[in-house]
Amino acid sequence: MVALPDWMALAPALSLGLASLVLLLADSIDPDTTNTGAIAGISVVGSLVSFGFAGWFISAGTGIADSTGVALFNNQLVVDQMALFFMAIVASVTTLVVLASYDYVAEHSYQAEFFALVLLSATGMSLLSAANSLASAFVALELVSLPSYALVAFLKENKGSVEAGLKYFLIGAVSSAVLAYGISLVYAATGVLRFDGIATAISSGTVQTIVNGSIQAQAGDPAVPMAILGVGILMIIGGVAFKTAAVPFHFWAPEAYEGAPAPISAFLSSASKAAGFVLAFRVFAVAFPIGDLLATGGAINWVMAFQILAIATMFIGNFAAATQETVKRMLAYSSVGHAGYVLIGLAAVSSSGEGLSLSMSAGMSHLMVYGFMNTGAFLFIALAEYWGVGRTFEDYNGLAKEAPIACAAMTVFLFSLAGLPIGGGFFSKFYLFSATLEVGAWSLAAALIINSALSLFYYSRVVKAMWIEEPNGSQTIESYPMGLYTAVVGAAIVTVLLLPGFGRVYDVAFQAAQLL
Amino acid sequence: MAAFTYAPAIVLLPFVSFLVALFAGDRMPKGGALAGITATGGSLLLSIWVALTVAGGSVHNEILYQWTTSVESLQLNFGLLLDPLSALMLLIVCLISFLVHIFSLGYMNDEGETGLPRYYAGLGLFTASMLGFVVANNLLMAFMFFELVGLCSYLLIGFWFREDGPPSAAKKAFLVTRFGDYFFLIGVVGIFATFGTGLFAPITEGGEVVAESFPMLAEHAIVDGEVEGIAMLETVGMGPQAWFTVLGLLVLGGVIGKSAQFPLHTWLPDAMEGPTPVSALIHAATMVAAGVYLVARMYGFYAISPTALAVIALVGGFTALFAATMGLVKQEIKQVLAYSTISQYGYMMLALGSGGYIAAVFHLTTHAVFKALLFLGAGSVIIAMHHNENMWDMGGLKDRMPVTYWTFLAGSLALAGIVPFAGFWSKDEVLYEALIHGFGTEGGLGTAYLAAYAMGLLAVFFTGFYTFRMVYLTFHGDARSDTARDPEPVHWNVKGPLTVLGILATTIGFINMAPVAKLTGAHIDFLHKWLTGPEEGGWPALLSTDLHHYEELLHEVPHVDPAYPLGGEIGTLLASAAVSLGLALAGVLVARSLYGGADPVEHTDKLGGLKTLLMHNYYQDEYQVWLATGVTHPLARAMDKFDQGVVDGVVNGVSSVSLFGGSRIRRIQSGVVSNYATLLTLGLVLLLAAFGIMGGWF
Repeated sequence: MVALPDWMALAPALSLGLASLVLLLADSIDPDTTNTGAIAGISVVGSLVSFGFAGWFISAGTGIADSTGVALFNNQLVVDQMALFFMAIVASVTTLVVLASYDYVAEHSYQAEFFALVLLSATGMSLLSAANSLASAFVALELVSLPSYALVAFLKENKGSVEAGLKYFLIGAVSSAVLAYGISLVYAATGVLRFDGIATAISSGTVQTIVNGSIQAQAGDPAVPMAILGVGILMIIGGVAFKTAAVPFHFWAPEAYEGAPAPISAFLSSASKAAGFVLAFRVFAVAFPIGDLLATGGAINWVMAFQILAIATMFIGNFAAATQETVKRMLAYSSVGHAGYVLIGLAAVSSSGEGLSLSMSAGMSHLMVYGFMNTGAFLFIALAEYWGVGRTFEDYNGLAKEAPIACAAMTVFLFSLAGLPIGGGFFSKFYLFSATLEVGAWSLAAALIINSALSLFYYSRVVKAMWIEEPNGSQTIESYPMGLYTAVVGAAIVTVLLLPGFGRVYDVAFQAAQLL
Repeated sequence: MAAFTYAPAIVLLPFVSFLVALFAGDRMPKGGALAGITATGGSLLLSIWVALTVAGGSVHNEILYQWTTSVESLQLNFGLLLDPLSALMLLIVCLISFLVHIFSLGYMNDEGETGLPRYYAGLGLFTASMLGFVVANNLLMAFMFFELVGLCSYLLIGFWFREDGPPSAAKKAFLVTRFGDYFFLIGVVGIFATFGTGLFAPITEGGEVVAESFPMLAEHAIVDGEVEGIAMLETVGMGPQAWFTVLGLLVLGGVIGKSAQFPLHTWLPDAMEGPTPVSALIHAATMVAAGVYLVARMYGFYAISPTALAVIALVGGFTALFAATMGLVKQEIKQVLAYSTISQYGYMMLALGSGGYIAAVFHLTTHAVFKALLFLGAGSVIIAMHHNENMWDMGGLKDRMPVTYWTFLAGSLALAGIVPFAGFWSKDEVLYEALIHGFGTEGGLGTAYLAAYAMGLLAVFFTGFYTFRMVYLTFHGDARSDTARDPEPVHWNVKGPLTVLGILATTIGFINMAPVAKLTGAHIDFLHKWLTGPEEGGWPALLSTDLHHYEELLHEVPHVDPAYPLGGEIGTLLASAAVSLGLALAGVLVARSLYGGADPVEHTDKLGGLKTLLMHNYYQDEYQVWLATGVTHPLARAMDKFDQGVVDGVVNGVSSVSLFGGSRIRRIQSGVVSNYATLLTLGLVLLLAAFGIMGGWF
């Protein structure tokens, strides 16, 4: 085995970044290119290479032996199993999205920019997975956000798209401000930005500093002002909630997802959400250890905050989804609801701080499965938009007669999202459920069950429209775009395969969570 | 042991023939019959090999396939248990199935039936399922195959599905047995929940028990008081004895349904709507025996429960008598045989309940042979009579179909229990065991045995009577219809199986002539030795499914002991044999005097009101139909009302509340971005305030 240099641990992120630079280069050489094949090809190769590296490192056990991961740039970044797990999610979603975009943007100009922005955002997500300090996390988060504002508004001629982009940007600005303020408060309270340093400050109760890369107490042992730390943590929760589209920072999500080009909706609702969660998991598991927080007088019980957010998000997302008339908006709200499910990963923790790795690994696994089933569902919407099928449920009537394969794939996605044992979504929800039972969090368990049942209702409406209802118009589908079809069918196959293969995913996730 | 390596093929061969008949039957000569004959013949040879190996002293109990892997405490397996009992049963099933396949050539192919591939596929699947049931080494596997044979029974009873009767009879058979199986299923779950295993016999490796069986665990709990490992007892709040009795009785539900015991016997007479070879194979010799076999298979579990034993004995004795009386007045030959089947299985249950394990297995064996013979003989008569089954249209067939007559007569003598035919020896042993255990056992159990014995003894007379009423009406006297005067001839494929079974019906009783053995001291009670095994070590030490073990259990727990009230062991033995033989002969003679003439007339009118009662089978069907329409249906309707009104109402209410809530939530999403910013900030401030107050920040 060749020992790779340490910086190679970032290969999944680097390959995405490199691909985006190549695209920008190509764009500067030929700004008005319509050679979509070449551009999409570069993007697909870049994201596949990224996925390959992530998969390779996971199976090679990077960061398992020394249980700390590969630390880079003075511990600003750390590549461990958790980071690699999320890099794999990001890379796989990116692959599906760029593959599907091949057909979607073929008609539009500025294609190279489109793909470059997607890959830049994906680079940010990859880096965010590895961020080990609040500073690098914030930078990575902005790298995720800024391209995505532009992407949502990509359809410049479309009022909805532009409006959604602007709203997304404004809410994003507010949320970034909240997050930055929270970070500054935490820094003020603890004296450090590195996650392990913050943890030391909390457990020792004294302000820390970093000298030559090692953490030590500041001269004079000043105590950590717990109230300031608490406000800071709560504001960081706000920043995370924005990225994951959790209540009450979810307002941008339905509009942005609906207005954006459907592949971008897929990208934002799957990859961007996952990136938000990796930040949350790492910050709250490493930097703000709940056991120490509660033991040292308790600045804030963030588990309770996440419980409130999880329940509110599950209910608001799913109940709003149940009454939508358009399929894309229904999926947008359901995506909010799914953020609630994943929040259980941080909420199903006992009062002594136990059960975190169990619930977190369930949340991670759900994100992995979700990366395929939700991306696939949005890509199906992209397919419908490509065909010019309308937006409402009724417009999908009898679609299965025209496109049985795509509709079968969509059925798999929807039922798997609902948690039926047709795809990996069954097991990931089941593990989330058992994580809540493990710590006796009955309210979370009940919310999960009620909302899953409700979600089955509105997901079934689409399935019913596609398979059972008679077509109401005489629209015919003329072409079957190859890239979109490949992406949709591929996502469906992986979703189904994750049913038997779920154990493997969960094992990796559990190990990653435990290593934290 | 090589024989055991190939043992799974015993089950698989008929299954292959099922597939062949199903998918290629219409392209094969004889509609798949040859595949079935080859497969069952092969299974028969393998069974003989297995039986010889078992006779050599080796047994086999092994898990072949485990189909749950994740749960430590509960393992569900497919496995083989080959001990003397299952080896004997394998022989019986394979032999009868083989002969029935051959007979079907005459009964189905030569009669120009259509749908033969379906028929032979059904026979193949049935044989495979039945054999799978016989070799099952655990209760769940047994249950699965038990259900499969039930399915095959349904399919084959309804073979002529275009007529009115068969589909309805098939449904009835399916539903009535399913009613019993429902309890069986609960029993299976209960046994798994209680013991964590469904194994019939412990699995040993190198002398060490690696997997204990549930009868042994139950025995340890009751005899040695080892109840710590059984958490279920605390859950149900019962003592081990009471709870095991409940479990045993639940399983017994399936037994009563399948072996057509009172009150679930009503399906069997209707099942005669199926083709006669099917009646012979499934509804006489093998499938109906599955219930009795199951009790014998897990006898160690029943032997520790006096209540269950008493129930089994009483149900058996009552059914024996009850069914025999209904057989007295039937006019159709297969109906008589059907009631006689119910009655004879009653004897087996009586034997099992009263501690006569050998007697039950013995009667199971002889009955399988002579009842299959009688059904096949009846089938031969039915061919000859152009499918007219009414005995009053027959008569005088003796001279026109001698092979059928003589073999049928052998079967009838065996059924009636006339020495030295097979049924005499086994029925006598059943009654003898019930008698000595009735006198030897103290308390209510002994009384129950004596009551059951009395009913069984009385039934002997009726058995002799209805059997020979049937023989005289069918074969003797003058022909009473044109078809009877000129019957259709039958071929070798009918006569061959009849001859084989006729010889066996005459001789198979010699495998266990217990009275002769006792009198002469000669060791000729082979079946007894077969099921007892060697005194020390050997297979009984491995499996604990031997007679000796069961006798010890019966002695220790329910205190079932023999006593010889009539002049010692020999005296009691002779008296018992003489009484039962005398009653049987009396029945035969009465039948002869009433129906033996050249031109017999009906005597049933002399019974008066009793005749109506018997003709209507004690109104059993009527009361069961009333139970369904008068009780279950209104109850179901009330449940439906509840479901429609309350449950659906709640569900609909929840959904309208959800939708209303959803539309409210939608309204928050106003589309105005400054509203969003406000709400977002407000939400954050609310959280800050709440946690600030809680955390004491201010």
